[in-house]
Amino acid sequence: MGQTLVVGTISGGIYGLMAVGLVLVFKGTRVLNFAQVEVGTLALYAAWEVTTQHGAPWIVGAAAAMVLALAIGLLFERLIVRPMGDAPRMTVAVATIGLLSLMLAFESVYFGPSPRILRPPIAGLGTKILGVYVSPTQWLSLGLVIVVGVGLAAFLRRTDFGLGVLAAADDPTAVRLVGVRLSRVSAFVWGTSAVLSAIAALLIEPTIGVIAPGALAGLFASGLAAALVGGLTSLSGAFVGGLVVGLAESLVGHYVVSSSVPGIPALVVFATIVAVLLARPGGLLGGRVATA
Amino acid sequence: MLELAGVRAGFGSTTVLHGVDLSLAPGEIAGVFGLNGAGKSVTMRVIAGIVPARSGLVSFDGQDVTRMQAEDRVALGMGHVPQGRQVFPGLTVEQNLRLGGHRLRKRDPARYEQLVAAMVERFPILTERRRQLAGSLSGGQQAALAVARALVSDPKLLLIDEPSAGLAPSVVAEVGRILREVNGLGVTVLLVEQNVTFGLGLVERAFVMQRGRVVYGGDVADLDQDRIAGLLGVGRILSKGVKSTVKSRRRTGTRTKT
Amino acid sequence: MAEIAARALQTPLAQRVRSLFGGRRADVLLIAVALAAFPIVTHRAMPRLFHQSDALVLSQGVALAAAALSLNLLLGYAGQISLGHAALLGAGAFASGILTGQHGLPMWVGVPVGGVVGAAVAFVLGIPSLRLRGLYLAMVTLAFGYAAEQSLFRLSVLTGGSAGVALPRRLHGNTLLIGNPGFLAVAMVVLLALWLVDVNVCRTKLGRAFQAIRQDEGVAQAFGVDVTRYKLAAFTLSGAFAGIAGALYGHAVGFVNSETFDFQLSLLLVIVVVVGGLGHRGAVVTAALFFTVFPRFIKGLHGYDLILGALLLMFTVSRHPGGLASMARERRERKAEREARREAEAEGEDIEDAGKLPSLPELPRPPAMPARAAAGDAPLLEAVGVSVHFGGLQALRNASITVPAGGIVGLVGPNGAGKTTLFNAVSGHVRTQSGRVRFLGEEVQDLPAFERARRGMARSFQLIGLAKELSVRENFLLAQHQLATYSPADALGFTRRAASVERALDERAREAVAALGFEQFLDTPVRNLSHGQQRIVEIGCLLATSPELLMLDEPSAGMSPAAAENLAERLRELPDRLGRTVLLIEHNLPLVLDVCDHLYVLHLGEILAEGEPAKVVQQEEVVRAYLGDAAA
Repeated sequence: MGQTLVVGTISGGIYGLMAVGLVLVFKGTRVLNFAQVEVGTLALYAAWEVTTQHGAPWIVGAAAAMVLALAIGLLFERLIVRPMGDAPRMTVAVATIGLLSLMLAFESVYFGPSPRILRPPIAGLGTKILGVYVSPTQWLSLGLVIVVGVGLAAFLRRTDFGLGVLAAADDPTAVRLVGVRLSRVSAFVWGTSAVLSAIAALLIEPTIGVIAPGALAGLFASGLAAALVGGLTSLSGAFVGGLVVGLAESLVGHYVVSSSVPGIPALVVFATIVAVLLARPGGLLGGRVATA
Repeated sequence: MLELAGVRAGFGSTTVLHGVDLSLAPGEIAGVFGLNGAGKSVTMRVIAGIVPARSGLVSFDGQDVTRMQAEDRVALGMGHVPQGRQVFPGLTVEQNLRLGGHRLRKRDPARYEQLVAAMVERFPILTERRRQLAGSLSGGQQAALAVARALVSDPKLLLIDEPSAGLAPSVVAEVGRILREVNGLGVTVLLVEQNVTFGLGLVERAFVMQRGRVVYGGDVADLDQDRIAGLLGVGRILSKGVKSTVKSRRRTGTRTKT
Repeated sequence: MAEIAARALQTPLAQRVRSLFGGRRADVLLIAVALAAFPIVTHRAMPRLFHQSDALVLSQGVALAAAALSLNLLLGYAGQISLGHAALLGAGAFASGILTGQHGLPMWVGVPVGGVVGAAVAFVLGIPSLRLRGLYLAMVTLAFGYAAEQSLFRLSVLTGGSAGVALPRRLHGNTLLIGNPGFLAVAMVVLLALWLVDVNVCRTKLGRAFQAIRQDEGVAQAFGVDVTRYKLAAFTLSGAFAGIAGALYGHAVGFVNSETFDFQLSLLLVIVVVVGGLGHRGAVVTAALFFTVFPRFIKGLHGYDLILGALLLMFTVSRHPGGLASMARERRERKAEREARREAEAEGEDIEDAGKLPSLPELPRPPAMPARAAAGDAPLLEAVGVSVHFGGLQALRNASITVPAGGIVGLVGPNGAGKTTLFNAVSGHVRTQSGRVRFLGEEVQDLPAFERARRGMARSFQLIGLAKELSVRENFLLAQHQLATYSPADALGFTRRAASVERALDERAREAVAALGFEQFLDTPVRNLSHGQQRIVEIGCLLATSPELLMLDEPSAGMSPAAAENLAERLRELPDRLGRTVLLIEHNLPLVLDVCDHLYVLHLGEILAEGEPAKVVQQEEVVRAYLGDAAA
């Protein structure tokens, strides 16, 4: 049981990272980025290419992954999102579907459909705490999630630019009237969320075990569910939502024998999404005032 | 300071402004009046740069800004108090002010500190509640915050859209006092108002709009009761009531200039 | 080839339908035979050029085309997005597979049942989901597709486990249709059938209602469309098409499992429909065939077709949301608009009409809408003690108005007074917290907007309540939605009843348009007309159902001063010549004084004054409301 909780918490933290990326883009530009997770997969491919084909250490691969993700996020914002200007948000969301398809197709063509494996960053045995086994990668995940989460929150709340991003979520017109350039806000949220996706992908890859086109689709669904629990407008809510979804998946999987019902996580996620949307489209934690 | 010539603007297939002409000299305090649908707010938004002008000229501080983005006009010295105040409800008072002055702080930190100190002094209520979320302030407090947020950017021109909307009369009076002070310090002020009585008591020059055009632009002193009603488009319909209110305000001379 | 022929029949449809109704059946039969014969004959004649495997690829393409039609119906016509459409395809495929594979039933039972199952799944999914819009609906459908792929299609109780299901092409007993060209023939005929049903959807009230819902649900309600029911109908019909398409695909390839209907398939469908052209069935089918056939027949391109598709999607969505199909049309329209604008500016005039507005059409009362009157002396409309609040804001407080039959009642007041809120409360577009609304003696405050519209209450909207992408003629047809007294089944099959009702509605629409003098604009999309022209078309549409009460919300807004003056005359026509009652919101006080028999003044959500217009407007409270209070 303890093991279940640990696994659930750590994967929940990773879902939270993915959800924060989704919420950041949604807050900044009111668009739901369907390609959010696939950017992470493509980033993983880059890491694989660099480490396996060129023998570089894991950290270099990870850096390459994040740089590629950043480039994709910024390019997409500049070439597709910004020219669309005031277009309906649903239309821009469909454009992200195009990006998603593009990445899936590219991965299939360039890397082929056979799955790749990325060597984990830290080999070796884990530690046992209170009868629960925590692997080094899981420690790393926990640490990174906390650092990134706290760092992002601090940046948004304490810097001028960060405040501009938060304000843009409340009122994009009023924020222009205090001189904040919306184009920079837009570039920031798209770029940052792409990097967050890369980080989340790197952290969850050992659990999934393979890199293949669309392999992280489950992560998108879980991240979406997490974001919805937080109301799509609350960053801290997204984190909490991640934990909720992670723990729910873990616990349900523990108590329901998976051979009789395949794909339990998918059902849990679907049920969560439907329940939240029908009960309160504002999410369980979002609502009155959008917070950082 | 500000000039509009032949400005046409609208949304989709609708044209709301059918050729607006307006000019404002530095240091003046003027108001734009008109019934609902006359185009007052759209005019403000065209000046701000939120709504593009389909034809005509918008000139600010000697520069042609017709095609300039709103953010850049702010950098040139436009300050805004939008309709409904539009403070950022999710940010604290302090954060709102910080955002308002962020450009000035980079450009001229000393001047920024000066202005912040001035705001603190003039609006003690904001200092008291500086860590409170702006969304939880009362209407009057939000109004004060919105004005302070605009002033902290050291604007040359302050544009205010319907300052009296949704506020209790005593608060409205306070807002009027603040605006007169601001003008006294040399800031040009242009406001849009539905409450003609309040507005006329505040400004030196008035522009009256009717159905997308400016039908009068001149000193308030030249306006009399019947003329106002006529210009608003209601004709000699509203006569008696207007006489008593506007005339009495003039006599008590509630406007002061420093 | 089949599409070209069908499209050729489609364009002069409006006229030909009546004269060639019998002949049309013969045309359809001929096309069906040609489609069926084509693959068989071609294969026999040129077996080396047209292989068995080519026929198989084409069959898959035809199945995908059917799936594309299904999504086009939902997304292109009704504007509801589905990112999990593959799940509906799978439902149909698995159903047909179980029937034909495990229970020995023939294909011609399996495929239609697949359609029924697809419809049922869509219906069940639709009931809760269609309360959500846009983004949220996309999320639910996405999640459903994901759950289906990962879990539901692997449940042994539903599909016999993860092993998948075989779909034999059973014709009868143990006879199987082995040949691919033969199967292709069958598939093409099925696609033709779906195509024809789609055509019928478009030329009846179903298609118009879908389009109205897509463009503006409030307007659809005002025209009497039961929006919730029609959204569900779109979903269900789309599900039926998808189920058939899935079954077709399954029988083509012979075997399906949960991985066949994955998220990438749902994405491909979205690409095909958006790139081809939302709402254009020919373009959508062509795109589907292109995406299936093109890479297979040009070796070495596998995979790159999807890259191309994705790039096209992004390009289309950002520059040409109407899809490739409408690119040429858009370019033409934009050019015309630019020229018109340049001309008008050169002459120094406003773009819009400074000329006279035409007289309103006098239409005979339709048999489906008998004249109604309130009993005895009761007023036409009575609102008693209506209160509305939004969140913390009290928009309307205890407002009461009475509108007697005949004449024009005006509603004025400064900004934020609650005038439009009162309108919305009366017409049903906003919920009230208390109060009663009596129309023609009947209490209607609990009825949805479309029900009130059906009882003779018509209303206009500030931003013009028309489906702007549709033509003038189509808007007049849409406005007569309540008069289209045939069932959805009639519509789908375009039975004689549906055809004759449509003919009657079309005649009425043409009469109205002719009376307005707008024949030249009959097939022009409404958004290309000037604001004043749109307003007149809107009022004309409101008259199409001979309503007892016309509620007009700021009809003169956005009009040039000359046109607004003209409007006053047109407004007086409504009670004086056409015998209607009008409730009017206006900011234009001289117009109001000119035109209204009785006036209500609203201020801060309450009725401030009422009575004879000239007197009311001079009352002190009214003056103060308009000019504002002196600040302390």
